[in-house]
Amino acid sequence: MPTGFSTLVDGLIEALRVLPGVGPRSAQRMAFHLLERDREGARRLAQALLAAAEGVGRCRECRTLTEDERCALCATPGRDRSQLCVVETPADVAAVEQATGYRGLYFVLGGHLSPLDGIGPAELGLDQLEARLAAGEVREVILATNPTVEGETTAQYIAELARAHGVLPTRIAHGVPVGGELEHVDVGTLSHAFAGRREI
Amino acid sequence: MRHALEAAYVLHARPYRETSLLLEVLTAGLGRVGMVARGARRPRASVRGLLQPFQPLLLGWSGRGELRTLRAAEPAGPPWRLAGRALVGALHLNGLACTALAREDPHPEVFAAYDAALRGLARPGAEVDGVLRRFELALLGALGYGPVLTRDVHGAPVRADGVYGYDPEHGPVPASAAHGGLRLRGATLLALARGEALPEAARPEARALLRMLLARHFGARQRRVREVLETMARPLAGRTAETPHGTAT
Repeated sequence: MPTGFSTLVDGLIEALRVLPGVGPRSAQRMAFHLLERDREGARRLAQALLAAAEGVGRCRECRTLTEDERCALCATPGRDRSQLCVVETPADVAAVEQATGYRGLYFVLGGHLSPLDGIGPAELGLDQLEARLAAGEVREVILATNPTVEGETTAQYIAELARAHGVLPTRIAHGVPVGGELEHVDVGTLSHAFAGRREI
Repeated sequence: MRHALEAAYVLHARPYRETSLLLEVLTAGLGRVGMVARGARRPRASVRGLLQPFQPLLLGWSGRGELRTLRAAEPAGPPWRLAGRALVGALHLNGLACTALAREDPHPEVFAAYDAALRGLARPGAEVDGVLRRFELALLGALGYGPVLTRDVHGAPVRADGVYGYDPEHGPVPASAAHGGLRLRGATLLALARGEALPEAARPEARALLRMLLARHFGARQRRVREVLETMARPLAGRTAETPHGTAT
């Protein structure tokens, strides 16, 4: 939907559409907002985007996003290096950091095993994870992949790698959400929660 | 066009747009169907936990053409619990169903075989190889590629104590006449034909035969799925003790 009066504005609208959930209408609204009401914000956005796109790579140790060779978390001196929490995305690192008092380290897979999409162990950096498990520093690997069939498959795969290197694999519990009602919980969740019951 | 709720399994789900899922679904009545589940990835979406592979479902959808729209989803029972080699085997079933079946080409017998295979894999101490071979043969048969197993290329009945090569076009070739390649015991061919459990010694050759036939008919995409599954199967193979060195595909 070109504006018909400016190639630069049309170019901006088209570029904004790379964002998830942004269609032509919202892209156009964003472009006009930036150009009409917030030029300074537009410049900051452009600089931040360029700096991040050029500078951000992956942490050598945990594969999360960072501009340093090691991310700030991996470089923190006080963290427990014997615990390693495996998650699917950098967003999951943030979620665990904010929700728990976990003081160990992380490993970010960047996805999950998905044979139908051609994603196998190599694509997830699992050789790097295995080298880390083999190095002997890690004693417990906490598998915090998503409770989906693919996440579960990934967890089982890594658990076997861990066992082969004498590292204890643990899996985060899944069950009924806090404040939820059993009647409204889906069968998959409830069947998991029931199978994973424990003594109180 | 609206359908009543129909028995179905999700074969594969991938994120679509901001909050939706793009599903490959195996249904009893319509075969493999592409479906959009709108809003299924919203944090409070009630179908989130439901639209997973290996969960027996009843689905309702609307629309026509390449992509239907999911309208209703209900569980048709508890999800099949799978681990280790059985899980890799079940993923192999999904890979096959996605790559071998054309969309909206109904094969109720494939759905029944798929359901039976999951049931078989979920059983404790499942004989994974036998379950997978039965499904593969049912799939080949439904699509008109059912291999000849009980008569050799000369029309003579396959003998349990015989040794055979296999010509993918014409069937078992008595070993004296076959040059190199695959070697199969007559007993293995007959056990496959009857859908029986496979003794451990027969599993590698049965797997090799079906691998050859599937690659021939379903080509490259199926092969890539299989490669990934084979790398995955290596460490997971240890989880059930029955064939420590086998792979589950």
